[in-house]
Amino acid sequence: MTAAPDALCRHCLLPVGRRCFTRSVNGESCQFCCYGCCIAHQVKSGSGDASEAAWFLVRLGVGSFLSMNIMLFSLLVYSGAFSGADRRVLPTIQLLLWGLATPAVLILGEPFLRETWSQARRGRLTSSALIVLGSFAAYAYSTLAVFQRGGHLYFDTASMVLMLFTLGRYLEAAGRARASRDLAPLLAAESELATVVEGVNEHRRPVREVCAGMVIRVKPGERIPIDGLIVEGRSHTDDAVITGESNLIAKGVGASVLAGSINVDGPLLIRSSGAGGESRWAQICRSVRDALRQSSRTQRIADRLVGAFVPIVLALAGMTMVYWMQRLPLDHAMLTALSVLVVACPCAVGLAAPMAHSLGIGQLARHGCLVRSPGALEALACARLIAFDKTGTLTLGRPQLVDIASDGVGDDEVLARLAGLERHSEHGLARAIALAARARGLDPIATTDVQIVPGRGLRGIAHGKLVAAGSAALMCELGWQLPPPLSERADVMASSGHSVVFIGWSENSGPGRARAALSFDDTALPEARVTIDRLRGLGLRVMLLTGDHAGAAARLAAAVGVDDWQAGLLPEPKRIALDQFRTRYGAVAMVGDGLNDGPGLAWADVGIAVGSATDLAREAADLVLPADSLWLLPWVVGRARAVRSTILANLAWAFGYNLIALSCAVFGLLQPILAAAVMAGSSLLVVLNSLRLERLPGPSHPSAPPLPAAAQAASEPLPREQGQRRKLALLKAES
Amino acid sequence: MAYYALLFLAGFAGSFHCIGMCGGFACALGADPRGATATSVRHVLYNTGRLTTYCFLGVLAGGLGQAIYTSPGTRSQGGVSFLSESLNAGQRGLAVIAGLLMILMALSFFGLRGWHRVSSSFGGSTLVISLRTLLRRPGHAAPLAFGVLNGFLPCPLVYAMVAQAASTADALSGLLTTVAFGLGTFPAMLAVGGVGRLLAPHWRQRGVRLAGSFILALGLITLGRGVMPMTAGHGLHHLWHIA
Repeated sequence: MTAAPDALCRHCLLPVGRRCFTRSVNGESCQFCCYGCCIAHQVKSGSGDASEAAWFLVRLGVGSFLSMNIMLFSLLVYSGAFSGADRRVLPTIQLLLWGLATPAVLILGEPFLRETWSQARRGRLTSSALIVLGSFAAYAYSTLAVFQRGGHLYFDTASMVLMLFTLGRYLEAAGRARASRDLAPLLAAESELATVVEGVNEHRRPVREVCAGMVIRVKPGERIPIDGLIVEGRSHTDDAVITGESNLIAKGVGASVLAGSINVDGPLLIRSSGAGGESRWAQICRSVRDALRQSSRTQRIADRLVGAFVPIVLALAGMTMVYWMQRLPLDHAMLTALSVLVVACPCAVGLAAPMAHSLGIGQLARHGCLVRSPGALEALACARLIAFDKTGTLTLGRPQLVDIASDGVGDDEVLARLAGLERHSEHGLARAIALAARARGLDPIATTDVQIVPGRGLRGIAHGKLVAAGSAALMCELGWQLPPPLSERADVMASSGHSVVFIGWSENSGPGRARAALSFDDTALPEARVTIDRLRGLGLRVMLLTGDHAGAAARLAAAVGVDDWQAGLLPEPKRIALDQFRTRYGAVAMVGDGLNDGPGLAWADVGIAVGSATDLAREAADLVLPADSLWLLPWVVGRARAVRSTILANLAWAFGYNLIALSCAVFGLLQPILAAAVMAGSSLLVVLNSLRLERLPGPSHPSAPPLPAAAQAASEPLPREQGQRRKLALLKAES
Repeated sequence: MAYYALLFLAGFAGSFHCIGMCGGFACALGADPRGATATSVRHVLYNTGRLTTYCFLGVLAGGLGQAIYTSPGTRSQGGVSFLSESLNAGQRGLAVIAGLLMILMALSFFGLRGWHRVSSSFGGSTLVISLRTLLRRPGHAAPLAFGVLNGFLPCPLVYAMVAQAASTADALSGLLTTVAFGLGTFPAMLAVGGVGRLLAPHWRQRGVRLAGSFILALGLITLGRGVMPMTAGHGLHHLWHIA
């Protein structure tokens, strides 16, 4: 194995794989997945006169100067410009071509040669070997021809093949860097520096060395490197990367800030509340890195094919040459074999999946959705059934008053007393009661000496009488009677999945009794119905698989439009149900809150957790949506499908193209230069096809009017364009 | 020869456009600390690099035109294919396409900008970012490399010339077309590099219009070459000599 097979390319953030390429940039050792990324990264981030970047560009420029001259003269020779009277200058032209080609081949071929050599020492043949073999053979043959005064020259072939491949790899790398743009902020957690303030001194330290209690200075525009509290300054923060929240949030002294968010407009001093490596951002960073590092199933298959490709192509080229040597002059046979070598370069195949994949992950990340396992997107794209694991995923988590069953008293009195009592409670039902009372315009009856009976309810004194509210058990404890009609109604309420609260108070004479039973229900999310409709519109079957009561499940299913549900499922039956569905529907996705439904999420092909990005460490989800973002799910499914279809299209294209071009080459129908152009074009097309994913519209909230969303999508590329214009202007103004 | 003189003039007029676009580069390339000679060498190398790219594109386009459209045996002798009386259908088609392209690009000089967006996409911006690192590098290789890459920057003038070169349907004529054009851009670009001073904006604007007019005229002539009936070729030829 190479030094670090699991590392990510410094430039395009894809796994470096086995063709790892190490160079030092600005005194720091960096790993790259290919030569193109190596150049592109150095061009982008190399600084100062001593940067290797400029050296690479000089090499590219001088190389193209030489090879363009070679091409120019060769084309003139081919087109017959030196026929007739000018014939005697031909030998001079040939010498000139040789003089131009020798440095060109050395300058342009060196990186390929180096890669071939370093891989050959490890006993591996890569596609660079094909390029090197092809172009150097053409050069050697032509050199012989020059000095023996006979035969055709193929210097143009040798240099243009190298030129086109260098250019192709460079452009490809530039495209890939664009793909990783969305991912970069998520992956920066491990390389970011923080400005630590110690007394009057300030120094830059890696984030992982920051401990709790340290004070960090963050300038406007910088990314906040640690979780902590603001001790000085006020600003707005952009938390989109971490929480998916797209609005800026105003923060002042004492407010907490999240690592990974951007400090927009004011200098801040932040006291770290935990170690730098423990922040949510750092955790997200690690999990995204893991997801990127492992290749998906499709890519593994493609890689295995590519691995077998090179030796096969070498053999094929050999056979082609032998075959054509019996029918054509040696140089023609060689040229044909050369086309085979060059055209079979499987660069595009290796690029087909990882780029689309990382683009997809990056785009989801921009909206706060985290992909934690490499196969998640592919599996989600294949899934035909989405099961909701808990009713809680589809509900607000805020109960509402549904029904009051009273016995001999008015509803208003019941509510007024209850509201007065529950004013002293923090319980979730207390809010629902207060809301219901306010809706009816009732004033809560002042209640004193309120006590909380743990697990049972509340008791207090109002108008000198004892008032109590809570479970039936509380009523029994107080020795209060539950009238049979009331308890029957309460049973009905409970059996249909409602939470039930009894309230009672004492009489002036004698013990009290329960006076009313109230039922509460958690309401469905307002966007749940639209979300489920949209999912169904995507051809997915939607189900509710829950451990709750059948009543609750049925009501929720009706409310949100789920046509199929199974309730009261314990983890084991749930697994069996999932297995049954899997045999019927193929891949199955499961949506839960990710906190206590881990087994279900883990057992499904894709586990999707909503709202638990905070607890990355403990849940088993493959995909994590931000809190309150169930509505993103259809978009995520659409995006996963787009990624998958892009990958498949890329692979089909790369393989189909390679096979057709290869057959053309074997039959001698393809010139080597054309073959090189075709190959460079092929990987460029794969890159461009993958970048098409960027153009897809962002998610639109069901409640939001469609216009702003469309406007946002349309205006999205604008800042980038402006940036480019500004760069052009800067360049122009540099005089 | 008049044809190449016109191209040279188009290049010269067009170099006012160049000063706007590439002149910044020439200025940024700056002076060599080793003296005036070294500075001159630096700028000549830069412009040679640029010219090489134009030559390459020209010969490639010409060769391509030749490969596609010249039927075997009727090869026109170097450099005189312009307005030659024996145009076959292929050459005519090529002339029409090239002419239309040139007119389109000429219009972009007069403010029809839609086309520009296409040309300054992905590849262009990548190149521009890359080029910046080359500007301040000492030595003679860097300006040469810089010039070569600069030549590939999206530029409607160059595209127009390449279209023209393709319409000649001959590698050598294509080469000469872009050489004439490239040499035309030399004086202004060298002056900008050497003197390090930009012309007043309104002058530049006029120059750009002038360049546009030249390209427009060339485009119309090329188009005419394609669509005029055979006999009209002579008339056009006369018109040509008057011009």
